[in-house]
Amino acid sequence: MSQYEVLRTLEGVLESFLERVVLLKKNRLDVLEGINSLDDIAQSSTDGFEITDRIGEWFAEHNRWLTEDTLKTGDIEGISRLLSDIKTSFKTTEDSSPAKKKISSVIDRWDSLKGTLPDIKKTSQGSHKMVLKRGAEQVQEESIALFDQTLKRCLNMLARSSINKKHLLSALDDSLRTASIQKNKDALLLSAFAIYYLKQNGYKIEPYVKRLKEAERLLKGNKSDV
Amino acid sequence: MFNPSEKAYCLALLALKRKDYRTASDHFDRAASGFKTDREFNLYRETTRLLLAVKREIAVLEKEDKLEIEEAFPNGQETELR
Repeated sequence: MSQYEVLRTLEGVLESFLERVVLLKKNRLDVLEGINSLDDIAQSSTDGFEITDRIGEWFAEHNRWLTEDTLKTGDIEGISRLLSDIKTSFKTTEDSSPAKKKISSVIDRWDSLKGTLPDIKKTSQGSHKMVLKRGAEQVQEESIALFDQTLKRCLNMLARSSINKKHLLSALDDSLRTASIQKNKDALLLSAFAIYYLKQNGYKIEPYVKRLKEAERLLKGNKSDV
Repeated sequence: MFNPSEKAYCLALLALKRKDYRTASDHFDRAASGFKTDREFNLYRETTRLLLAVKREIAVLEKEDKLEIEEAFPNGQETELR
């Protein structure tokens, strides 16, 4: 193979890798693109430019985010902060145009979405501190007993899976198969424990994590079928 | 919302989406100060840089392969054929 052919092959491999990265991150990139354009609009707004049309177009394109499960908590927080910045410089009065009033009401709708999130407060250092809310702790002594029983069942399962096996990876393979085929929650827990143990001991665990996630998905699907 | 590094990383990824690798590399460079220890970031940045280097080498080899012919006309005008 000539140098030219080698380079062409390498070029193809590298481009293919980057294309797959983009494909893998397609949903995130769409969100990032949207937030980035809102960031630009917020900057223009702060600089005193007229943004009514641009923000109107942005909402038209992204309002589906309000009903879809596309955004992460951080995205919603970020969008709310940007909209809050925009609203500060986007004051409406009685005389404001209908378009401007409508946009103001849409900003309020987005703001109400933020209300469903945990409180995020700024610490004295300026970083963000997340405060998770929950009710008063309830006494659940049986939870320890339940966990203890689960561990014992997992140990028994490991003993069965290990018969005639020479390595924990083989037992894990068996356990993952049980979790997927039988939709067995104990097998799923045992698999997760074994994967974490192997990870701590320097094993390559990515393929097993994939299988674990698939088994978990099947288990959840099974529950929802009931 | 975005600090300059985050904004640059975001623009780099969007440039990758458009297959504009030169622009992506420039944005990766601008984002580098904020993502020095981010393995994923470094992987994308280095892959993009390597791809550009490979493309440069290919361009050089392709140029070397071209036969340049100059034909002189009696009236003094020259036409370059490739």
